[in-house]
Amino acid sequence: MTIHLYLSMMPEALIASMLTPEEFGVYYAVGARKKARGQAIFFEIAPDFRSDFLHIEEGMRRCVPHDDGSPKRSIYISVYRVLEHIPLDVIQRLYLVTHDGRVLGVEAHEEIPKDSEGLHLYQEIAPVHPFVVSTLGPREFYELIVKNPVTLLSLPAICFVELRLGELAEDPKYGAVRDLPYSSIEHLRQCLVDLSTKTVHTKMVDRIHPASFPYRMMKNGLFVGNAEWLLYFPLPSQEELRAKYYRWWRSANM
Amino acid sequence: MPTSQPWVFVTIFAGAVSVAVAVWLYGWVHRQDAGTKKAQEVASWIREGATSYLRRLYLALTLVAVALGIIIAIVFSFDIEHLGTEAISVDPLRGGGMALAFVVGAVCSAVAGYMGMSVAVAANVRSAAAANEGINQSFRVAFYAGSVMGLAMVGLAAIGMGTVYLLTGDPEIVLGFSFGASTLALLAKAGGGIYTKTADIAADLVGKVELGIPEDDPRNPAVIADLVGDNVGDVAGMGADIFDSYVASTVAVMLLGASLFQNDAVLQAKYTVFPLVLCALGIVASLIGIRFVRVGKNGKPGQALNRGTIITCAILAVLTTAVVLLGDYKLGVLWATLAGLATGIVVGFTSDYFTSSENRPVIETARVSGSGAAINIITGFSYGLISTVPSIIGIALATLISYYLAEWSGLSGIYGVGISAVGMLSVSGMIVSSDAYGPIVDNARGIAEMAGMSQKVIDTADVLDAAGNTAKAITKGFAISAAALTVLTLFAAYAEVVGTRGVELSISLRDPMVIVGVLLGAVTPPLFSALTMLSVTDNAFKMIGEIRRQFREYPGILAGTEKPDYAACVDLAAQGALMSLVLPGFLAIFLPILVGFVLGPEALGGFLGGSIFTGIIFALLMSNAGGLWDNAKKFIESGEHGGTGSDAHKASVVGDTVGDPFKDTAGPSLNTLITVMSLVSSLFAPIIAAFHLF
Repeated sequence: MTIHLYLSMMPEALIASMLTPEEFGVYYAVGARKKARGQAIFFEIAPDFRSDFLHIEEGMRRCVPHDDGSPKRSIYISVYRVLEHIPLDVIQRLYLVTHDGRVLGVEAHEEIPKDSEGLHLYQEIAPVHPFVVSTLGPREFYELIVKNPVTLLSLPAICFVELRLGELAEDPKYGAVRDLPYSSIEHLRQCLVDLSTKTVHTKMVDRIHPASFPYRMMKNGLFVGNAEWLLYFPLPSQEELRAKYYRWWRSANM
Repeated sequence: MPTSQPWVFVTIFAGAVSVAVAVWLYGWVHRQDAGTKKAQEVASWIREGATSYLRRLYLALTLVAVALGIIIAIVFSFDIEHLGTEAISVDPLRGGGMALAFVVGAVCSAVAGYMGMSVAVAANVRSAAAANEGINQSFRVAFYAGSVMGLAMVGLAAIGMGTVYLLTGDPEIVLGFSFGASTLALLAKAGGGIYTKTADIAADLVGKVELGIPEDDPRNPAVIADLVGDNVGDVAGMGADIFDSYVASTVAVMLLGASLFQNDAVLQAKYTVFPLVLCALGIVASLIGIRFVRVGKNGKPGQALNRGTIITCAILAVLTTAVVLLGDYKLGVLWATLAGLATGIVVGFTSDYFTSSENRPVIETARVSGSGAAINIITGFSYGLISTVPSIIGIALATLISYYLAEWSGLSGIYGVGISAVGMLSVSGMIVSSDAYGPIVDNARGIAEMAGMSQKVIDTADVLDAAGNTAKAITKGFAISAAALTVLTLFAAYAEVVGTRGVELSISLRDPMVIVGVLLGAVTPPLFSALTMLSVTDNAFKMIGEIRRQFREYPGILAGTEKPDYAACVDLAAQGALMSLVLPGFLAIFLPILVGFVLGPEALGGFLGGSIFTGIIFALLMSNAGGLWDNAKKFIESGEHGGTGSDAHKASVVGDTVGDPFKDTAGPSLNTLITVMSLVSSLFAPIIAAFHLF
């Protein structure tokens, strides 16, 4: 049986598994009897990748079939500071898994979307996961956090998504909320107003926010970057999702 | 009844035509393409579940019908007018006739329900398959299948009532027919309501809330029970409910008609038979109106259904005017019929106003949901209370108009009130057709989802489903307002029957017995509601345990590698619903008899009055509030106030779950409860008048 290496972002971990990405997604989200269930995001990485910091070889060695011949589902290699030790060129594909185990595979795209006008909302996923508003587009936001920090706070690598702000992006004070499902929406609105009146580029909305978020709110896709470069995994359009990946789309809209 | 006898034949003939068209449509639906193998497999699970539940229900009802039939045969064999005197005589023929009428009434109601449901479980998959060709084709299959229920129901009722009256010439025997229909309706409606909400709530709480599985997902073990519930609750149950009101209102007016013109047998027969005339005209109007229900390529199904209802009402108005003028009837019956029709439309559209997402009540309830479930419930409940006002004013106006215009034209006022109820219900063929369409397209949506049918099919089914919800709200308004007028008439019929036994009914609030009766009557609908809703929570709790067990013991179900045990949930829902019927059924049938025998006819009069008033208010409140909460949730899901997953949405899901047993279990069953209690009272009135403790 082939052994795969998965870089989980939720929670941050490196896992060896004999399951295919689709099987692993289902297992990770719903298949465990004793573990918590829920949304999962992971990358498949090159199986021949090795690192001095991570005991990958040992993990691979332990990843053997069960006595009954069934595949080993998971061997946790590391659950600490994983992302920063994975070079982005070994990342092969992103998998977005819904609460109920529907799996969507997404390829990386060369072009990073151009920064749009207005304000932005980011859900950082790993290694920390605050909920942040910013005047900066995704590339500038990544650069501020990873490459050119202007404060004491910086990260060696980051995984994040930009979430939709609807009318609030242009008109934080009076824009209609419509289908924005965020908790404490008035606080979010105030943070956006503060951004537009103060000199800072980013503002934390919620520092203990869970990493999970509704997929339906993703504005464009998922970003993962380290000191070398930024990778972008664009989510297909709503129309394409509905037409080609109906089951995933439906669960993602729950 | 020499001059009126042709009208009885006309009624029976119209009923036969209606049943014949229903049978033809039944065949037409079965000849449509049944879709892919997978879709047919899903549909077969639903069909098996629904058939198995109805088989069990009808078996239980057969036992109830036989037991009650024997009691009725024995009790009504005695010459009740001389009960308590030495001159008492025994007439087994009369008792047997009454019992037979009772059984025939129950059988007719059961056959109509069974026909409707069996075509619904065949039409659901065909409607889904037809959606590939377009909305018009899919709509036609669903609506014509709904029409089988509507036409079979009115047809069988007309044949049954006409035949019993033709054979006996005694409206009191026809009352037995009505009691049979109502008893079955009460149990079918309440049982169906408990079944459908047990499955719905359990499927949602574990599937959607705990595991985040979407609606109608094949991995949910309760999904088939949920789809079966749509059929047994909304098709068979609602059909039996309207069958009951339809028959009860007609019979009550026949009884009142028989007490008019005591010195002129021809006129007496003419007005005794007039309700049957209205039934015949209503059937003709419905048969024509159904032809007008069409959607174009991009047409709106909701508009098509409403157009059909309005055209049917207009045709009935024209036909009634012609018959009244040409048949030399007093004009009071025409005004009463028109008042009834107008009230039906007003109350139906009032329900639509309070439950439609385009109007303030739903929009406002959705808006405040951001502040939590409590405020959602308070707001929805308050609008539900307000929604009773226009309906009650409509019923009050219809009562006043029909009463005084009937008096003005030389008829008994209360006879006019009864005619307004019959007028409203005479278009039941069309109303039930629209109503039964709803669960069929709801099922079609579920089958499309489970069988992985194309996006086009799902989109079409969504549009059809939304129209079905509106039709359902309007039907409920119709059913409740008709039941209100029917029980007012039955109340008068009860007084009339008691009066013929030499007891002048005097219902005064200064009489402590009457006050006790009113209080006991007033508390019965809330108690009945509580019992049925507690049954839902109790059964849902058991089913939640079963769903969790399946997910826990078979992880492959959620992973999509193992098939759930759908039958286990179907079985639990059926068993739970049937067991839960015992106490509410006993309450409805035996409580009025107990009050009458113990406290006397005046107290029973007060009891009926109390139950009618709280029953109507509770029925309107629960149906409208439940529909309002449901649509407030859907409004948020459409992308307002944060959309799906927002705090407002979570609050609205709580409101919707509270509203589920309101609108689909307790609320609609109350019509039947008050009708059954009024019928039991009228039926046993002669005995109660002769023998009571106080």
